[in-house]
Amino acid sequence: MPVALRDPALHLLILGYLGAGALLAALVLAGFSALLSFWAGWRESDLFVQVGRRAFYAATAMTVLAAIALETALLTHDFSLAYVAEHTDISTPVALVAAGFYSGQEGSLLYWTLILGLLGSASLVASGALGGRVAAYAAGILAAIITFFLFVLAVVASPFELLSVTPPDGLGLNPVLRDGGMLIHPPVVLAGFAAFAVPFAFASAALLAGRSDAAWIRHTRRFALVAWGLQSAGLLLGMWWAYHVLGWGGYWGWDPVENVALMPWLATTAYLHSSQVQERRGRLRGWNLGLVMLAFLLVVFGTFIVRSGVVPSVHTFAISAIGPWFLGFLGACIAFSAVLLATRAALGSAPATRPAEPVSREGAFVLQNMLLIGVIAVVFWGTLLPLVSGMFGLERVVGAPYYERAAGPLLAALLALLAVGPLLPWRQAGRPSLRALRWPALTAIAVLLALAVAGVRSAPLLLALPLAAAAAATVFTEYGRALRRSPASVIARRRRFGAYMAHLGLAVVAAGIAASQLGQQERDVALAPGEQAMVAGYTLIYTGSEQRDAGDHTELVASIRFGDQTLEPSRAVYAGLGGQALTHVAITTTPVADVYVVLAGMDEDGRAAFRVFVNPLVTWIWAGGAVLILGVLLGNVGAMDAELARRRAAATLPA
Amino acid sequence: MSVALRWGAPVAVVVACVAYLIYTASGGSAEYYLTVSELHAHQPGGDVRVAGVVQDDVVRTDGGLHVMFTEKDGTAAMPVEYTGTLPDIFRPGITVVAEGRMGADGVFHARTLLAKCPSRFATQPYTS
Repeated sequence: MPVALRDPALHLLILGYLGAGALLAALVLAGFSALLSFWAGWRESDLFVQVGRRAFYAATAMTVLAAIALETALLTHDFSLAYVAEHTDISTPVALVAAGFYSGQEGSLLYWTLILGLLGSASLVASGALGGRVAAYAAGILAAIITFFLFVLAVVASPFELLSVTPPDGLGLNPVLRDGGMLIHPPVVLAGFAAFAVPFAFASAALLAGRSDAAWIRHTRRFALVAWGLQSAGLLLGMWWAYHVLGWGGYWGWDPVENVALMPWLATTAYLHSSQVQERRGRLRGWNLGLVMLAFLLVVFGTFIVRSGVVPSVHTFAISAIGPWFLGFLGACIAFSAVLLATRAALGSAPATRPAEPVSREGAFVLQNMLLIGVIAVVFWGTLLPLVSGMFGLERVVGAPYYERAAGPLLAALLALLAVGPLLPWRQAGRPSLRALRWPALTAIAVLLALAVAGVRSAPLLLALPLAAAAAATVFTEYGRALRRSPASVIARRRRFGAYMAHLGLAVVAAGIAASQLGQQERDVALAPGEQAMVAGYTLIYTGSEQRDAGDHTELVASIRFGDQTLEPSRAVYAGLGGQALTHVAITTTPVADVYVVLAGMDEDGRAAFRVFVNPLVTWIWAGGAVLILGVLLGNVGAMDAELARRRAAATLPA
Repeated sequence: MSVALRWGAPVAVVVACVAYLIYTASGGSAEYYLTVSELHAHQPGGDVRVAGVVQDDVVRTDGGLHVMFTEKDGTAAMPVEYTGTLPDIFRPGITVVAEGRMGADGVFHARTLLAKCPSRFATQPYTS
């Protein structure tokens, strides 16, 4: 299949130049769109708004063209492009070759730009209803952001860089990345990051235009939820991939790369909740703007950290020239946001209604926001400590114990709030709402007793699991109430009940994380064939090993009898990649725990060394994650704001 | 109590808690991140992380669970001893970060051993 376009001269002409040309055209169009849109907003010119918007669409179309050129180059093995030669080879399976699009620095930036263009265009289509100036500024800000990305792509880190001599074969993909998880984790995370530019653009545009209402929140609600859903799915997929592929028994290592993906998710979570206070009660306007900006700035900050190598991380992109550019962009975004907030946030006056009491839904949202910001602060400090301490002497780093000690109590408080918050009424909580808390409270006590009887003695676990159970009970209480009253209301108010389902998923995830983090057991064993080992009450019998040949790699497979199953942990060696080894973990799931076996090595005489982990409730994380994503989807399928529905209805009426 | 106080007091408490947690946790568990020569020059107490390049003298015993090797940077070298599973890409020539402490025997006893990928996704860039 990959031989359709093998003439190198043709290639050079078609793909390298086509892609580079498309990027340049997109850059010019995006810059034009930014200038025109800001001008249109300034002069309130409807014509220029429309031209600016169309220029944005055209820039997006050019980006799509560039993306198609790169993908075609990858699929046809056009090794005249440095990017193709460095990230794929002829033996790489087709699906992974296609994924090469976003596997490297330049390609992933192009992918990000593509998503930004597509989602930005989608958000601009119906933006006229927000008023000409907001629409104009939003287009201008989106265009300015995409202009920066296109500039980096066209000038600093082009995926269409040509090699002077076309090599016969590429370097191939690191075997660690040859996995299905690799196909979906990066694009989902990156799309989640790109999507959050939309709420940022509209929030800033509303400020610039001097509007203090919540129209921008309604307009970008879908985009914020899409961003949040994608970020959630991306984090979970990354954890799943790390757990199943990397073979160190865990799924989260508090590495800077993971931290900078977590922080925007935390900020987006905070925003999704606090924006309801503005929608429902007209309060927290400045705070919401701040959160939107924080989430976007954290995305840019994370991109800078990951791609510049300023903090020590086990996985960073190749050192490249884009670091300073992203630092400059981050500085510009911070300055823009700060000036905007300082000069415009005080717009309009607070509503004349009496302020709410602290013990209320509003209070729960504010506390949740404070706690989430607290977790962000913990993670931010942990990530930046090497950089900060390095400036004043020897570099210092923190590991998992720091994050567990500092963020653990905050996460426990958030879990408690997950149980209590949804049951508190707006404005003021009285006795009836305290009565509503009896089911979660009883559930927590029951789970606590059950765990105590079962012999669990870890205090953090005795706190976390009952709280997670209480949070789940709260969701069931709400569903029960609604179903008793009218089953149809669950569907009619699916935005709300979808969110509760996401809460339920999160409670299950929390239980899985707490149990696996606090209850993990690990043992190193060296066994001769026929010998057995006991780990946390599970018996493993090593029966022998064999060498298997599988094309581009050889595999040393050990067999372990576990009950009536056979586990086959193995080590593959890729001759083509300098003899790089790759561990294949054997995982089996029992009702309460995963048994996770890694083949560490083997002596000449057939004695094999294993590292065995027993990870309680890890499967709950994946199951809860699925429920969470399902909640986001069900809560938004076909759901429309009343206003939007009216507008649609009016538009489809025969004239 | 005024509205501002009823809202402000809990907010202040949460902020104080977060600051306290960060302060105590980072004081208690921050480790020095050093090169081999920095370790020799400063000899800090407690656990440290030391980055350096794995040399050719890797000796594996006990089915591969136990490993001895020399870690070196531009100017200094130290012997490292580690028990456990090795990172997949561990081999002479790669950069590793050993976390542990220097023993009185002059051998660095590593608790964890991380391999630093030269690049997350590429194996080695072509020089065009």
